[in-house]
Amino acid sequence: MLRYTVKRLLQLSVALLGLSLLLFAWFKALPGGPENRLLPENATDQQREALRAALGLDEPVWTQYGEFLARIVRLDFGSSLSSGRPIATELAERLPATVELSLAAMLIAVGLGIPLGYLAAKRRGTWVDFSTVSGSLLGTCIPIFFLAAMLKVVFAQELGWLPTTFRLTAGADFTEVTGLRVFDGLITGELDIAWDAVRHLILPAIALSSIPLAVIVRITRASVLDVVGEDYVRTADAKGLKPATVRGRHVMRNAMLPIATIIGLLLGSLFAGAVLTESVFAFGGIGSFVYQATTERDYPALMGFILVIAVFYVVINLIVDLSYGLLDPRVRVRK
Amino acid sequence: MALLEVEDLRVAFGASTAVDGVSFSVPEGKVVGLVGESGCGKSVTSLAIMGLLPKRRNGRPAPVTASRPVTVEAADGGTVAAPTGPPPSATAVAPVLRRRGSGADVSGRAVFDGTDLLSLAPAAMRRRRGKDLAMVFQDPLSSLNPVVPIGRQITEVLERHRGLKGDKASKEAANLLDRVGIPDPTRRLKEYPHQLSGGMRQRVLIAIAVACNPRLLIADEPTTALDVTIQAQILELLKDLVEAEGTALLMITHDLGVVAGICDEVNVLYSGRVVESAPVRELFAAPTHPYTVGLLGSIPRLDLPIHEPLTPIRGSIADVIRWHDGCAFAPRCDRVAAPCVAGEPALVGAVHAHRCVMAEEVA
Repeated sequence: MLRYTVKRLLQLSVALLGLSLLLFAWFKALPGGPENRLLPENATDQQREALRAALGLDEPVWTQYGEFLARIVRLDFGSSLSSGRPIATELAERLPATVELSLAAMLIAVGLGIPLGYLAAKRRGTWVDFSTVSGSLLGTCIPIFFLAAMLKVVFAQELGWLPTTFRLTAGADFTEVTGLRVFDGLITGELDIAWDAVRHLILPAIALSSIPLAVIVRITRASVLDVVGEDYVRTADAKGLKPATVRGRHVMRNAMLPIATIIGLLLGSLFAGAVLTESVFAFGGIGSFVYQATTERDYPALMGFILVIAVFYVVINLIVDLSYGLLDPRVRVRK
Repeated sequence: MALLEVEDLRVAFGASTAVDGVSFSVPEGKVVGLVGESGCGKSVTSLAIMGLLPKRRNGRPAPVTASRPVTVEAADGGTVAAPTGPPPSATAVAPVLRRRGSGADVSGRAVFDGTDLLSLAPAAMRRRRGKDLAMVFQDPLSSLNPVVPIGRQITEVLERHRGLKGDKASKEAANLLDRVGIPDPTRRLKEYPHQLSGGMRQRVLIAIAVACNPRLLIADEPTTALDVTIQAQILELLKDLVEAEGTALLMITHDLGVVAGICDEVNVLYSGRVVESAPVRELFAAPTHPYTVGLLGSIPRLDLPIHEPLTPIRGSIADVIRWHDGCAFAPRCDRVAAPCVAGEPALVGAVHAHRCVMAEEVA
């Protein structure tokens, strides 16, 4: 298992290096360099050259890349062109909100999706199966921002059951530890804060969970249908085991393999969906930050965002691969 | 009364009949063979006895397909007209249908120690499966769970039926592995199926099956997926185990060599029905049904001249007449005549029984 982990980590660093190269090349190839954003439209060519020199844009490409890498390693993404604050600080402030939202959405998707998918497979061809599958189709079809807006209008504005915006009620007095409000509230014993944060999370998390939920339902259903036809499930039945044992130890443990992969991939893509959901609920995560950076051609900010997301993606994939090793002994490299 | 009495067992998957009225018995402590080629219904019979076939959800009767006339070429060159139904496509029918989720229509009786297994409630059947009657499957790799250590796959059955837990269960599992001839059993308990060889895996499956000292062991082609040398070892092991414990064994196989090596009695199955049954010596000495004769003729023999051609049975099991219209084997038979397709042939004889209307005339 250790060798497997080390091997995976080495592969990961190669992937990240390749990614930094791509990212660097991409930003080099983009038209309208940062000097055009910083200088007024009537700036002279000398002014442009001077600024390019100041930003190091006149150095040879490889020197620039080396400098770029060195800064990334120091987590120095530069300062935002619009706010002037360091990108790393901006991201660090906003990331916990997005992480918390994504995790909550995934919790809903996994907690509901796997049992529903299992039920659909077991009751294959019945109305349970039919309504689950068509429901999941619906889930993938509804655009997230529309669902988010509808949830907000119905449950927050009309019925008033849940708050409409923000992560906590305005003026709430809380202790910040990790930035994950629910988690912080629980570990500091501020249970009212944790509950308040949960109430603020519910609607955006439901909106964000719609697509992963639909995907997990379908993958689980297909995976379970595959596994229940396997000979080893028949062997388990032939032992006279209780249905719960057959289900847990023999069906689900094998059916989890493709589900785990999908969960990893979905977690990465959740960040993209979070951009939309966060803007509807004014959730204050990296979503709105990225939106702003895109419209204002804030290159350093975008670069920092993409890097952070990419690292997340790669790390999540590593976790999925490692969990694969735990779930499936055949994947483990033999000593 | 025998330990297991199967009476008029019928299994149908939708419109196709896999088992068409099979009757046989397995006496206490005896080894009984169920022989036939692929698709004759042997595996489905064993799964039906074990209650492992998917049940039909609604009790709708299977749709009846109209018979269409076919002609059967008689031995004398003439043709004999016979009505025929759809062929019983029993080949691998069980796994396919498990996947599709549609069920089997099972009727008849399988009386085990005074209880009809087919009429037991699922929960009651689960309490007996793995304990009173157990099964060894054909493919040892796919029949073991790839992500669970083999030790756990053995202890779970000990836990379920013998109430053994923790260290006691592990110790007993190691004993079982030792009993089926796996060296260094304590270390092996922690290993996964992919780390074992084919023969070892089959030994593990056997260990699981005998874990609760069942009174009846059903072995479905237990040696088919193995090398010849390993086959012999596994057969020896099965023989030793059933002899030591007085377990009855129902041996399902297409291999007459296996039958000769291990069985006391044999039932030859064709198209979902027993066509001949006899004590093993009598069957080999005087095969009566033309299908049995054909099976024996298809085996290469060392005592015949090298260039002597084999005599295969012509046609395939798909060329079939429904049993109630005549002999299902008629389209492939060399001694077919008009009486063969004039209604259902009866099983005649007691100790050595056969289902051939032409048997006396040939003899």
